[in-house]
Amino acid sequence: MPHEVIMPALGMAQDSGLIVAWHKNQGDAVSMGDTLFEVETDKATMEVEAQASGFLNRVSRQAGDDVPVGEVIAVIGDSAEAAPPEQTPKEMPKEMPENIDPAAPEMPKGAEVIMPALGMAQDSGVIVAWHKSPGDAAASSDVLFEVETDKSTVEVEAGHDGYVAALLAEPGDEVPVGDVIAVISATKPETPVQLSRQSQGPSASRSAETPAAAPAPSSEPAASPQVAKPAAMATGDRILVSPKARRLALEQGLDLKGLIEAGIPQPFHVADLEMLRSLPAKTATGPSGTQNVLARVSVTGFSDFFDRFDGQIPTPGAVWAAFAAASLRSAGSRSDIVVRLDTPLLGSSAFFVDPDLVPLSRIAPCEADAPQIVLRDLTASRITGLTLVADDAPVLTVSRDGTDYVLSLDFTEAQLAANAAIRLVEGVAARLGEPLRHLL
Amino acid sequence: MREITLSQAVNEALAEEMRRDETVFIIGEDVAEAGTPFKVLSGLVEEFGTQRVIDTPISEPGFMGLAVGAAMTGTRPVVDLMFGDFLFLVMDQLCNQAAKIHYMSGGKLNVPLVVRTNLGATRRSAAQHSQSLHALVAHIPGLKVALPSSAYEAKGLMKTAIRDNNPVVIFEDKLMYNDKAPVPEEEYLIPLGEANVLREGSDITLIGTSSMVQVCQKAAGLLAHERISAEVIDPRTIVPLDEAALLKSAKKTSRVIVVDEGHQSFGITGEIASRINEKAFYHLDGPVLRMGAMDVPVPFSPALEDLTVPTPEGVAEKARKLVAGEMIHAA
Repeated sequence: MPHEVIMPALGMAQDSGLIVAWHKNQGDAVSMGDTLFEVETDKATMEVEAQASGFLNRVSRQAGDDVPVGEVIAVIGDSAEAAPPEQTPKEMPKEMPENIDPAAPEMPKGAEVIMPALGMAQDSGVIVAWHKSPGDAAASSDVLFEVETDKSTVEVEAGHDGYVAALLAEPGDEVPVGDVIAVISATKPETPVQLSRQSQGPSASRSAETPAAAPAPSSEPAASPQVAKPAAMATGDRILVSPKARRLALEQGLDLKGLIEAGIPQPFHVADLEMLRSLPAKTATGPSGTQNVLARVSVTGFSDFFDRFDGQIPTPGAVWAAFAAASLRSAGSRSDIVVRLDTPLLGSSAFFVDPDLVPLSRIAPCEADAPQIVLRDLTASRITGLTLVADDAPVLTVSRDGTDYVLSLDFTEAQLAANAAIRLVEGVAARLGEPLRHLL
Repeated sequence: MREITLSQAVNEALAEEMRRDETVFIIGEDVAEAGTPFKVLSGLVEEFGTQRVIDTPISEPGFMGLAVGAAMTGTRPVVDLMFGDFLFLVMDQLCNQAAKIHYMSGGKLNVPLVVRTNLGATRRSAAQHSQSLHALVAHIPGLKVALPSSAYEAKGLMKTAIRDNNPVVIFEDKLMYNDKAPVPEEEYLIPLGEANVLREGSDITLIGTSSMVQVCQKAAGLLAHERISAEVIDPRTIVPLDEAALLKSAKKTSRVIVVDEGHQSFGITGEIASRINEKAFYHLDGPVLRMGAMDVPVPFSPALEDLTVPTPEGVAEKARKLVAGEMIHAA
């Protein structure tokens, strides 16, 4: 009955053990009590004895492997077996020469020396110096290298008799605990290998996949090339609002976005919900941020004026264009003012540039585009009022309701400030009511 | 109603309880002839004798340990710890022994012990005699902590504490010993764990303890001039804490400032603020603010010392900002 050798649990909270060295080789005869291998845990290094007598077979894990507790790493059988034909390549330790890039120097055979764990919470060590050079003879008790941990610098012995066949890290390299850093061969190597950690690729692991060029002490440190992501602003779409205000808004079906559109600074508090409640009309009627100002003024003033100067002034629409331009100018617009006069029922449009700066009698349409304001003349229609989506420019609709003109200005916040819109509509309404004011 | 000082109120409470129950005794430094440095116990040794008003050598761990043992064996000691700062000397007796004996004996032993001590800065007593260390005691399960804010509270809480079968530490504000307040002639008790609403309000709740109750009261007065209606609550005991009363007020006003004379960091203010945050979060219209003593050794320099503790003006200023929604922090 073959006896399975498993990775023992040596500590209270140990879930894997690092095989430091095998004391028996594949096929060796072992007696119960013989030291089979050494295991390093985070606390200590221990020798593990054979629990059965026989022959050590099917050694599946090598020195330097970190093996989960409970995993079978060998079998003690009744007779010596040849090395198992399928030594499960997938479990083949990465540093096995087969895995090495063809361009890399062939890794010499021999005992592997790993970066030891010298402290309780050490996960890597820095090689301070090698005391042997590739090709040197080394006795087990010879100091092979010095390693620096966060606590101290320690000299480490070779642990094996033989020759330094490979040094896989350079002074200054930081090497994870358990990584193979040297190979000591039984016979003098013909082509000893010397590598730096950097030359073994950025993964800095045992997989020596990068072609090993000559050691390049000045090569760039294998710092992770990851660029720190710029810390995204956490706000995003989040609305800053007090817990109570958020709860009340939820309970009362209030959309806090209304406060943002109204320009109320965040964070919102319960008091701001009062403001939100007073703005329901906008969310009820306003398609996508369109705002609206309405005015109503008797037609008498303008019709009297128009009748009095009949013949001396052009169409009513041209006069209104002048009114609108003048009102917009007094509402704060400084540039040349282009007014487009739309008469939807006739399907006609006309442009006026600064119509308020010429005498009424000389107002005339001209070539222009990009109006600052659109006048929509609906006075000939039966439509008495409407709110449409704002155009490229604010749209002032003039319609007629009985004996009144109805002025309706559609605009967005981006086009006009609320104050300017109010002054614009008030200016046009005042001029329509008493056109002589415009002349003054 | 007659008005007496906080000293007289404590003296009366002790005398009444010692007359009522002969197992009650007082032990501490300078408690008998001297009647304590603050003269709180004057006259008691004349009435009850040196067997019940016991002067000790200057060894706080000694007499505290003695009192814990005495309490376990059937008496009701009232330990006089001259300054709250000396709590550091009796931590083992108080926190490892008195606080845990009832639990560890499976309920077979009680420690009906009262520790009378004090807190409060601005008495020019320097860093080792000016600390407010009630948070240290409140942290240990098994110890009750009372913080009387007036003569009335001092008497009612002291009498209740003496009758309690568990260790109770009472911190008196050493600046308040001569403050007078109406105290009834007839006997009364104040239960532990029952907060007192001193002033009703609707805009903000000021929770004050001990010396900070009058600071909150004055702050509420300042705020009233600005039409900010502040509610002032005194928890009276922080262990047990009348959480329900504090939460009720927090939900009502939706804004809270907690004011306490202990150091602000890791203190009473943070504990109370957290509980309100945890249990009234969706009723809050702004962050619960803490105001404690500055995290520095209490300076000896009067000018500096006065800067380290919350003032009515400081509390009112914070309240103003909280009500105006100006306690804004980055998203």
